Amino acid sequence: MDRRVTSNQKAWAFTAILRKDLRLELRTGESTITLVFLSLLVLTVLTFALDAPAGDPAIAAGALWVAMIFAGTIGATRALIAEWQNGCVRALLLSPADRAAIYCSKLVASFVFMALAEIAAMVLLVLFFNLDFGIRLVRIAPVLAMGALGFAALATLLATIQVQIRVGDLLLPLLAIPVFVPALIAGVKATNAALAGLPFSGFTQWLKILGACDILFLAGGYLLFEQVISGD
Amino acid sequence: MSAKPAQWLGLVTLGMMTAAIFMVFVYVPTEAQQGIVQRIFYFHVPCAWVAFAAFALVALSGTFYLWFGQQVWDDLGYAAAEVGMLFCTLVLITGSIWAKPIWGAWWTWDSRLTTTLVLWLLYAGYLMLRVMAAEIPQVGRLAAVVGIVAAADVPVIIVSVRLWRTIHPAVLVTRQGGHGLEDPRMIATLLVSIVAFTALWLWLLMLRFATLRTKTRIDNLHRELLLVEAELADRSIQARLSPST
Repeated sequence: MDRRVTSNQKAWAFTAILRKDLRLELRTGESTITLVFLSLLVLTVLTFALDAPAGDPAIAAGALWVAMIFAGTIGATRALIAEWQNGCVRALLLSPADRAAIYCSKLVASFVFMALAEIAAMVLLVLFFNLDFGIRLVRIAPVLAMGALGFAALATLLATIQVQIRVGDLLLPLLAIPVFVPALIAGVKATNAALAGLPFSGFTQWLKILGACDILFLAGGYLLFEQVISGD
Repeated sequence: MSAKPAQWLGLVTLGMMTAAIFMVFVYVPTEAQQGIVQRIFYFHVPCAWVAFAAFALVALSGTFYLWFGQQVWDDLGYAAAEVGMLFCTLVLITGSIWAKPIWGAWWTWDSRLTTTLVLWLLYAGYLMLRVMAAEIPQVGRLAAVVGIVAAADVPVIIVSVRLWRTIHPAVLVTRQGGHGLEDPRMIATLLVSIVAFTALWLWLLMLRFATLRTKTRIDNLHRELLLVEAELADRSIQARLSPST
């Protein structure tokens, strides 16, 4: 009985915070627009920088993930950072909301923003790199979804560290990108395999690593978030 | 905290290091295929061992710090990370010096090299966090979390990087494990080097740890002093107010 009440409260806090973040985003569009615009810029820069032959899946896969990492480190955690700007985090911590619920809602918000930006980046990628629209692109969906989930899980934890440090503006990419390396390798390889239409076995192998990274980042974030958010 | 154990360990390190240097330069035979360059191996491998051990210690003391909340664990983690970073840098440098004549390039994206580089980047981030967050009171907890996440990430890094390289053909012939320690003198030299570097590591760790402990004590005294000063100021104000009322 008692436990059910607390889990209900958790779910309630989770949906309340998430609904607030998504509503804020619907009204301003700040995070999503920033992310889409950043992805567009990164893809444009990479097109010039690489001067790649059209339709090369390896380069397209790399470009997509560079765009995702850049956009992710800069924009994905805006929902979280907004809480610190007006000192809202104190109210959030004083409320009976569970720390894990706060973490999950912020994580889902970041994931939604990143997923929207990735859909936009995917369309741009097909246009810029002159890829074929087709059934192959569907196979990228789970890769990107898992990549965004892992990155959002990691970035939500590490951005909570960053916002507490006044001079720590660039700390998030410094901390997040090395930790994200295995997921990045797996993601690029899986995207490449999907775009090039390689056999399914080579594709699932990388999805497994991506899944392992997701589990690691989610578990780490869920367990350690309480340690980084409880202010002194 | 007396400086005695550190002094003794310093002497042991000096002796072992002298022995190791003598063995590396004089005693051990030159490897037939690689020539004189191979001798850097006896410094390279101990550095790698120490770097990995140090980073494991960072995660371990981070866990203890979050668990028990004692400042000792935080200081130990910080000291271990700094010293581990030093040895990790040495691994990359000595490896490069060896790779240039043997592989023909300073750097290749071989799985072990890549893993070490990512590890180096992880702990560079950790140390940067420690420097940037030095002023805020919860720095220990933040650093502990990063240290734990970094260590938990290491197995996944190793697996993914290995898979990445086996699928992708290596540009250069990476003859890993081609050191061929066929001579027993080579094994002896390696063992002495490992002991010497472990002693060096523990010695440096001890010195750094002692410095950080002293810093913690100064910080605590400073905080007490501020409290006492505030109380004195409070009392003097009250003393000034009380006759008039």
